[in-house]
Amino acid sequence: MATTATLPVTGRVDAGLPVHLATHKSGGRDRWSPPLAELPGDPTAAVEAALNEVLDPEIPISLVELGLVYAVAWEAGVARVDLTYTATACPCMEFIREDVTDRLEREPWIDRVELVEVWSPPWTTDRITAAGRAKLRHLGVST
Amino acid sequence: MRQFTDEELKEKVQGGYIVESVDEMTDGYRKALVVQLTVQADTELMSAPAYWMAARHAPSTNTQVSAHAIIQDELAHANIAYRLLEDLGESKEHLVYGRQPHEFKHPYGFDQPLENWAELVVANGFFDRAGITLLSDVYQNTSYGPLKRALVKVDMEETFHLRHGEVWMRRLAKAGGEAREMLQRAVDWMFPMTVEWFGLPDAMKRHSGQLDYRLKGLTNDQLRQVWMSSTVPLCEQLELKAPAHWDAERDAYVLDYPFPCRYDEEVKRWLFEEGEISWDDVFERWKARGPMNETYVESVQRSRSDVARWLGGGAAA
Repeated sequence: MATTATLPVTGRVDAGLPVHLATHKSGGRDRWSPPLAELPGDPTAAVEAALNEVLDPEIPISLVELGLVYAVAWEAGVARVDLTYTATACPCMEFIREDVTDRLEREPWIDRVELVEVWSPPWTTDRITAAGRAKLRHLGVST
Repeated sequence: MRQFTDEELKEKVQGGYIVESVDEMTDGYRKALVVQLTVQADTELMSAPAYWMAARHAPSTNTQVSAHAIIQDELAHANIAYRLLEDLGESKEHLVYGRQPHEFKHPYGFDQPLENWAELVVANGFFDRAGITLLSDVYQNTSYGPLKRALVKVDMEETFHLRHGEVWMRRLAKAGGEAREMLQRAVDWMFPMTVEWFGLPDAMKRHSGQLDYRLKGLTNDQLRQVWMSSTVPLCEQLELKAPAHWDAERDAYVLDYPFPCRYDEEVKRWLFEEGEISWDDVFERWKARGPMNETYVESVQRSRSDVARWLGGGAAA
């Protein structure tokens, strides 16, 4: 697919970045859905759906598709996310924490985000979902 | 025998033709591509020792890991570009290990010492942004197929470096005090350094063929504008002083200092007060290379010969 927007759009920090790179750099922020106005019927599913919009900082698939999210829960305004990283020395841990928190805190029915980092079981490529695999194949990355 | 004359090839690539092999190239095309790839490879390679020496100033183990991940990416990007040069008949061995420091073609900005964490993160925010500006233009416009495909991964990884730079610039700006002072001092010398990196203004540009062969899409001045259109708003957002502003009448970013001008390497300061100099003066400074040129090149080349000697004269793998 052809990319667009090479010439500057003034006054924007990501001006000049091709669209796919701007999306990638921001953890997918430009494609995040608007927040839900009220508490959804199944808040846990809604938290997971929101996380599925957060892109990994290195590979342009979502954290859910990459298999980094181990468990999701919502109770009384607190969204709890159990997640891992692809390596204990992952250079992007801070970016991932920031992206997850920013995405979930957009929702008015989430007052607080609790991130629990999990190292067991360790992440392997087996955890990449079928949807994630299909996207990676499209990008020329074999799993 | 060549498939196309130079004029035929120029016309074909302007119409969207993608070159896949050396057989399709003319001498002019091949030479222009070799120059472009050499600059690209050398820039990636020389950013590694510059960032590596600066990574010593990382404030924690995690930030060390992030800084070294960037260095690893840069080495891999250099490797990709030298590998493409081999397809064109150039020798990677010679390019990396056989040249004198002053023969490398990276920009003068990567001949400078990065001496603290603020300078490293501004290098990520400014220099890597320049890299993305240049390389994403190449990605979108190049007529050379193998380079276009290779750049998908390179550009994605460069955005990680840029984000690292921006996140840390934001953090230092917010902290105020000494952190903000160090940040501003880095911006003061690194902003004009990057502006100069984009080279001769279009009005003075000697004909290079890069646009005719469609090896890139935008001119030097257009690329400089793309870079400023992101960098100036970033500085404004962080309340950092940057010597450029948006001029609505001219519909462009305009520099607030004489360009080009002299640079004092010792104190890392642009001598705005001395006024404009000629581009010949700039080329002379670039040609003489900057203060860390020999140190950086030596750090890349040194162990090659040491280990080769241990192995009894055979080349290291």
